[in-house]
Amino acid sequence: MRSIRMLVATALAAVLALALGACGSSSSGSTTVPGSASVLSTGGYQSPLTTSLTDGKRGGTLQVLDETDFEHLDPGIAYYSLDYTVVFATQRPLYSNKPDAVEPTPDMAAAAPEISADNKTVTVHLKEGIHFSPPVNREVTSHDVAYAIERGANPNVANPYLSTYFSSLEGIKQANGGAIKGIETPNKHAIVFHLTEPKGQFVADALVLPLTAAVPKEYAEKFDTNNPSDYANYQVATGPYMLKNNAEGKVLGIGYSPGKSATLVRNPNWNASTDFRPAYLNEIDIKIGGTQAVIDRQVLEGGNVVENEPPAQSAIKLAAENYKSQIDISPGGGSHYIAVNNKVGPFSSIDLRKALWAALDRKAMDRVRGGELVTNVATHFIYPTINGFNEAGGVAGPKVDYNEHPEGDIALAEKYIRLAGYPSGKYTGEKPIEVVASSGAPAKEDAEIVNQTLKNLGFKTKLTLVEQSTMYAKYCGVPKEEIDVCPNVNWIADFSDPQTVLNITFSGNSIVSSGNNNWGQVNVPTINAAMTAAESVNGKAARGAAWAKIDEELVRDAAAVPFDWDKQPRLEGSAVHGVAQLWNEGAWDYSFTSLK
Amino acid sequence: MIRYIIRRLLWGVLSLIVVAALLFILFRVLPTGNPALLRAGRDPKPKLVKEIEVALGLSKPLPVQFWDYLKEIFLHLNFGYSYYSQQSVRSLIAERLPPTISLALGAGVLWIVAGFGIGIVSALRRHSLWDRAAMGGALVAISAPEFWLGLVFLYLFSSDIGKFKLLPGAGSYVSLSSDPWKWFTSLIMPWIVLAAGAAAIFARLMRGSLTETMREDYIRTARAKGLPERDVVRHGVRAAVNPLVTLFGLELAALLGGAVIVETVFNIPGVGRLSYQAIQSADFPVIQGTVLLAAMFVIVANIVVDISYAYLDPRVRYS
Amino acid sequence: MTMGRGPDEAPLLRVEDLRVEFVSEDGAVHAVDGVSYEVRSGRTLGIVGESGSGKTVCSLTTLGLTRHQGARVSGRILFEGQDLVTLPEDELRAIRGNEIAMIFQDPLSSLHPLYRVGAQLIEAVRAHRDVSKAKARERAIELLGLVGISDPARRVDDYPYEFSGGMRQRAMIAMALANEPKLLIADEPTTALDVTVQAQILALIERLQRELGMAVVIITHDLGVAAEMADEIAVMYAGRIVETASAERLFAAPEHPYTWGLLRSIPRLDAQRAADLTPIPGTPPSLINPPSGCHFHPRCPYAQPDHARIDPALEPVPDDPSQFVACLLETQVRRRLWQQLGAGDTPEQALAAVGLPSGDEAGAPA
Repeated sequence: MRSIRMLVATALAAVLALALGACGSSSSGSTTVPGSASVLSTGGYQSPLTTSLTDGKRGGTLQVLDETDFEHLDPGIAYYSLDYTVVFATQRPLYSNKPDAVEPTPDMAAAAPEISADNKTVTVHLKEGIHFSPPVNREVTSHDVAYAIERGANPNVANPYLSTYFSSLEGIKQANGGAIKGIETPNKHAIVFHLTEPKGQFVADALVLPLTAAVPKEYAEKFDTNNPSDYANYQVATGPYMLKNNAEGKVLGIGYSPGKSATLVRNPNWNASTDFRPAYLNEIDIKIGGTQAVIDRQVLEGGNVVENEPPAQSAIKLAAENYKSQIDISPGGGSHYIAVNNKVGPFSSIDLRKALWAALDRKAMDRVRGGELVTNVATHFIYPTINGFNEAGGVAGPKVDYNEHPEGDIALAEKYIRLAGYPSGKYTGEKPIEVVASSGAPAKEDAEIVNQTLKNLGFKTKLTLVEQSTMYAKYCGVPKEEIDVCPNVNWIADFSDPQTVLNITFSGNSIVSSGNNNWGQVNVPTINAAMTAAESVNGKAARGAAWAKIDEELVRDAAAVPFDWDKQPRLEGSAVHGVAQLWNEGAWDYSFTSLK
Repeated sequence: MIRYIIRRLLWGVLSLIVVAALLFILFRVLPTGNPALLRAGRDPKPKLVKEIEVALGLSKPLPVQFWDYLKEIFLHLNFGYSYYSQQSVRSLIAERLPPTISLALGAGVLWIVAGFGIGIVSALRRHSLWDRAAMGGALVAISAPEFWLGLVFLYLFSSDIGKFKLLPGAGSYVSLSSDPWKWFTSLIMPWIVLAAGAAAIFARLMRGSLTETMREDYIRTARAKGLPERDVVRHGVRAAVNPLVTLFGLELAALLGGAVIVETVFNIPGVGRLSYQAIQSADFPVIQGTVLLAAMFVIVANIVVDISYAYLDPRVRYS
Repeated sequence: MTMGRGPDEAPLLRVEDLRVEFVSEDGAVHAVDGVSYEVRSGRTLGIVGESGSGKTVCSLTTLGLTRHQGARVSGRILFEGQDLVTLPEDELRAIRGNEIAMIFQDPLSSLHPLYRVGAQLIEAVRAHRDVSKAKARERAIELLGLVGISDPARRVDDYPYEFSGGMRQRAMIAMALANEPKLLIADEPTTALDVTVQAQILALIERLQRELGMAVVIITHDLGVAAEMADEIAVMYAGRIVETASAERLFAAPEHPYTWGLLRSIPRLDAQRAADLTPIPGTPPSLINPPSGCHFHPRCPYAQPDHARIDPALEPVPDDPSQFVACLLETQVRRRLWQQLGAGDTPEQALAAVGLPSGDEAGAPA
């Protein structure tokens, strides 16, 4: 429910580009990460794109301070940036990401996926010699990968993104935890996905999600019959690290005490030659709880310690001034925009939407969020590091007049208001519009800028501030509530494919009656059709171009008002040589981080 | 007296049932986040949400859910399982209770000693420099928010980020059995922060109460008997203490329910922090467990306070 | 000055020109304004006066109990040769509850409500005697029996609220007598009690006085109580003593107009039914700004102009050196006035009969 969601990179490169083997070659990140050069502007601070991956020292224990607890550590359920920091150190999905890349590297897979010509079959060959951690110990087979995906449909597990990305799998509709017709395992080291629609490329991209991390059926199914499943409390690992457990495999209370701590130790059955991860650290001790401000200070003044959540603004400032070597800034942390109600109310008028976009001082909105260090003014919806960013206009964005003035242009706004039918240049409607925003800082400050802008344009407003999850669950995510303006909505893609940025948020087909993420209820038939078509496009470049066109249409429709592309800061202690995950909001990667 | 206690205990159980019912209604009827919806992720297709609801037992008719819920709590002491960690709420609370008890009892001792001591001296030396300083200090201590006070202490005295590295910093709590000295030193700042406000209130109340009782006729009699002044004051304190006992009992009960702010700032894994984390993630079973626990402490404290009041003031006896 | 016709020994307690002032927001309160009296062993002195006459403050000051209220005390209080006014606190404490004891008006509020009666008695004993708790408890039971409480062994563990009013006063007396004091000061001991119980308590005090040979000072506003208990009576008004005499003399031949007023305002069995009571007109004066000269002159029907200027001294009456009065009228004039009043005259008629101008005619301030 938090605004911070995980970002997983996906391979969009055609089969050819992914002929790289598994181990060790670090990709030249900055040239293949869209928008990196222009938006990095980090003034010399470290970033995942500039940190070396290979010169770490082996050994030592890393201390991690997390203010919030994990939501789910079960690889079949985990869906949150903080969860991923542990899951991707202990589990190996079919494909995953090096810290400095948004394109995937084969992980459990031996090579890139083979997509059939009709785009309806995806074949993946697995590496050999990968074993589960104790107490299971045996070699991983394709049946384990199949089970991992199948259990996602088990109501006791209830994977949150199965239907979004795997809805084209044959037999998925009847799936209930048992075998899925469309998943075939012809031998121990091959797995084939049969689809009912030509969405092979999209499914292949989704294989970076942790749902594809192998789970041993004979060991896990007894836990999966519990309601809900507690496999997480007994999980085994395939990655370089594992959650500490006892001889029977129990993790709860040993490797993970909810709300208190978690401990990762080396997986004795991990074979370094099969993995691109160096795994320098011997142990990772995670302590949960406390307050962010205190944690930030403890990290800045500490040695072998990091935090893995966004620091408070005051700490960012402090680090940028006095602890320059201890702050890492990662682009591509998602975007913030203002959702306006396209369906009912004044903003169903395209001209009023354009007026708001023109009038908004986007620079001020970004300043209250921390300024240039951690933000970029947003000019369209596909954000840096996502495929299609450059095609969609890059930093400057599409050339439309209301996009030209990031500091706001009231005169232009008034022109659009007149076009909307208000000759005075100010809105004259009597009914106050409903604005629902989030009450924490800096969301509150942004909401106040938006509120004031609306008032300057002549609107009467009723501003309500509520806790963030309430804002989504009770107001902005419920179409029936007919909220006019939601100034604080935030989105991060699931992986680098632009479909994951635009589809759920702007397609009329994605609107649901509760938990709706198309907050503005944008429903333009031509755009909907274009999105449906673009879902089936193959090839990284083609997909980038197709979705960039849709982005431009959305800008011309002023479907929402974007204002910020986030860059994520993270803090490390003075004795840590931290490596951050570009694809996961700049979180520290335990498999690549080392101690000085 | 026994009948009275039994009657009060029965009323207490009834109160707990009412609290449980209220919790049930609040969580089912006023959703700020349907837990199934939260679990369903970003694209909550109705089918998925339904599946999760069934898994979490949320799809049965409300009266059935309510009955199951009451039965589980009161007959089996089963508060359910956390939505997130699948750990039983009972065991979660059981492991978080000792730190909270350490915190509450230590703070309680500190505030009695400080509150009574300062209050008595202030009452006996009214309007002196000591009295004005003490009452002024009390005002500051009452007004200072715990959060701010805790941060100030950390930034001044904690060994990792403080100016004067004297005491262990946030997150250094260990259980009494594993390292008694570290347990003690890690609790010193939290005890002071927790006790500060309460001690100040006590001091002011004690000052007022003792000032009044020292004007009573029996104090004059005590002096006329030739008792040393120390005993005369004891006579006064004995009578002044009664209203404070009630307050102490109730405040202690509130602390046992979990001092959320202090536990969070100092990162002590107690019941208060547990309830705060549960509220943040809408982990209903855990919230239910902690609220019922807190309610139970308050109810028990009320009974204990009433009984001890009868013991302390023989005029208020129940026949 | 000596009083009383007892054996010619030094008095047990002698108060000399005692003045007690309290500081208040409105100015100094002259509660006691130059008071002198004596008490002898085995004798009872009654101090009589209205509320606010200073009678209680006098006695509290004797025990040093006004020290805590910030009183300014001058004069001397001699007890067995020691001046209690200047005695250090811990020496005075050794005397309180030991050689001099005091009982108070309201026994319910004067006993600690939360301690058992026995415990309070034990405390009184152990404050001055080095005995074990067990021995002190025996003594407590004995004392309760002494003051006439039945079943003392059980009663000793009761709380004050479990006693009746009369029993509580008996318990207070027991506490006061725990260490066999030489002097007992009883401040309005029966005012809060029923009439029948009053008689019992007074009888008890008398009996104990005989048995222990104590001196007693009884403070009261009730002349009847004074008549019954006291050997000598001192009448106080507005912080001063206006008349002292033996009990017989005071009721037979009072000298001071205030005393006349007191006596004539009491209902008498032998008065005629139709006769009115004659109250003293006016109200007691403010002690912050007491009247100049004779404190009684504003209310005295017989006051003359110079009475507002001259302070009357307490002087012996010519034919009875044991009776003292503080009045500026001549003795002969006073006696004739008293005769006239006794014959049924009103004060105005008595004045006329004696040939004195009335206050109004003489231009004396009212």
